[in-house]
Amino acid sequence: MADLIGILTRMSRKRPDEPAISHNGRELSYAQLLLQVRATATRLGPSPGVVAVLTDRSPATVVAMLGVLAAGGTYCPVDPAFPAARQRALLESAGCTTVIAARPGASVPEGTEGVLRVLAAGPDAGAEGGPADGGPAIGSGPADGGPATGSGPVDGGPDDAASVDPGSPAYTLFTSGSTGAPKPVLTPRRAIDASVASLRELFGLASTDRVLQFASLNWDTCFEEILPALTAGATLVFHDEAYTGSLSRLLKTVADERITLLDLPTAFWHELVRHLAEDGAALPDSVRTVVIGGEAVGAARLADWRALDTGQIRLINTYGCTETTLITHAVDLHGPKAPDEAARWGTDGGRVPIGTPLPHVLDDIGDDGELLVSGPALALGYRNLPEVTAERFLTREGPDGPERWFRTGDRVGRRPDGLLDHQGRLDAEIKVRGIRVDPAEVEAHLTAYPSVGAAAVVGTQTAGRTTMAAYLVAGYDHASDTLARDVLAYLHETVPNHLVPHRVTVVPELVYTASGKIDRAATHHRHAPAAAQPRPRN
Amino acid sequence: MSADDIVEIFRRVLETDDITADSDFFLLGGDSLLGTRVLSAVARTRGVELSFEDLLDAPTPDALAKKIAGVTR
Repeated sequence: MADLIGILTRMSRKRPDEPAISHNGRELSYAQLLLQVRATATRLGPSPGVVAVLTDRSPATVVAMLGVLAAGGTYCPVDPAFPAARQRALLESAGCTTVIAARPGASVPEGTEGVLRVLAAGPDAGAEGGPADGGPAIGSGPADGGPATGSGPVDGGPDDAASVDPGSPAYTLFTSGSTGAPKPVLTPRRAIDASVASLRELFGLASTDRVLQFASLNWDTCFEEILPALTAGATLVFHDEAYTGSLSRLLKTVADERITLLDLPTAFWHELVRHLAEDGAALPDSVRTVVIGGEAVGAARLADWRALDTGQIRLINTYGCTETTLITHAVDLHGPKAPDEAARWGTDGGRVPIGTPLPHVLDDIGDDGELLVSGPALALGYRNLPEVTAERFLTREGPDGPERWFRTGDRVGRRPDGLLDHQGRLDAEIKVRGIRVDPAEVEAHLTAYPSVGAAAVVGTQTAGRTTMAAYLVAGYDHASDTLARDVLAYLHETVPNHLVPHRVTVVPELVYTASGKIDRAATHHRHAPAAAQPRPRN
Repeated sequence: MSADDIVEIFRRVLETDDITADSDFFLLGGDSLLGTRVLSAVARTRGVELSFEDLLDAPTPDALAKKIAGVTR
């Protein structure tokens, strides 16, 4: 199977002057992109190990990502907006040795200066100078700046990644860990190669497509947007107006930029459909495919979508885990490629299916209805966590010898038509705006606050989306009328937003099971009405 | 658009009546997803296209009303 950098290299020979990336209307051609990727790889040097990239919502992050891959390194995105302590924990647990600051002016978190090699990013590196906090910028960016002039095909040079082992890690991302420490997932090159090939096919991408870069660059969904597009000769579109949080500004950008493919978190798509339905509006007519994923599709929103003028737009529902690399299951829910019976999905109180496995995926249903996944897209495991890895990655005897399988923790059912239904989690994990959160991790952060004696965190449905409610028991030394507020302020300073509960309620006691474990559901059930009371004010 | 109008929007979006002109959207369980509903409601009634940053910056009905007045003046 062809590797990503090889495909990108061929693409830049075939379509050197065509736009690979557009950023607020300014275009970067395939030839320019490859030139910048190669320059980044050269500055990194061969086999640079795990390279953290302080992300920025701009092409500089894509150049850094591909540059790390081309050099044979492991890409590790880090959100520079995260609290410094969290950034340090991520850099350390991933084993990063080098940092690229894709965000202009971003500095490495306090305490890591001098430990990490720091590189300034991309084409403007020379002009920007080194990162603010002083790590020396190694070399300077390639000369760029000007508009795309008709540059010829990029000269050969060695096929950068040709000699890189397909079993070596391409990127590392984090999932929520019960101890409060993030778990780094190691994803091999063969996994992205296999997955991206399937996704190009699933999305039916062609060079005329314009794909909006919408997903956060700190989670894996962004790879679904970036990598299939750039290996299909399509254009990846960044536009600041798409990220303001205003749906009408997003829709205007989609129309102005003639976006053909949108990949949205399901929770966000629910809001978009509400907005369109309330306005009686349609999506801009450039859009031909909308990909959603991350949580269960709401039947009411799907009905609203069908009632809108969306008949020519493919609506694809998708499922996947970080440990199984991007999307593993998909199905067309509406539009030209949806089966006839799709019109009934979600209308009879039944679930909206997550589909069938993509061509590179094997699936099976294990004990308790747990979805098991195998194939080349499996992660290598969690870095430096052999026990957790052994618990989630099984070896089973297959027809051709031992096979590795991942236990997803998701309970599924196979419908008579062969499609899978998602029926919930086998553990307490919840999805907050599409991001996986282990309640135990949030509880660990809450009880790290000195005045908190014990904590229980549950996912609950509020105003049509999943929210996180926390129940605290105060320690001896703290008056409870400001505790909730103080704890929230503390969390905002120490952990990323997706780990901060929507509501914190101080209660006299939690509910415990007979075996002495906190009973989250029962605690919520007993105290939930209190959450609707006015919060204490200063 | 008065602070009272925005109190009504917050009540509808957050699904609670316990909203006054100085209630903080984010301390009452608001987030970026619910924020899109506030922004859409403001755009629909006033034609003003605020961003999520504006809401972060002015998270109470009172502050948001002042911000909108500043934009439309």
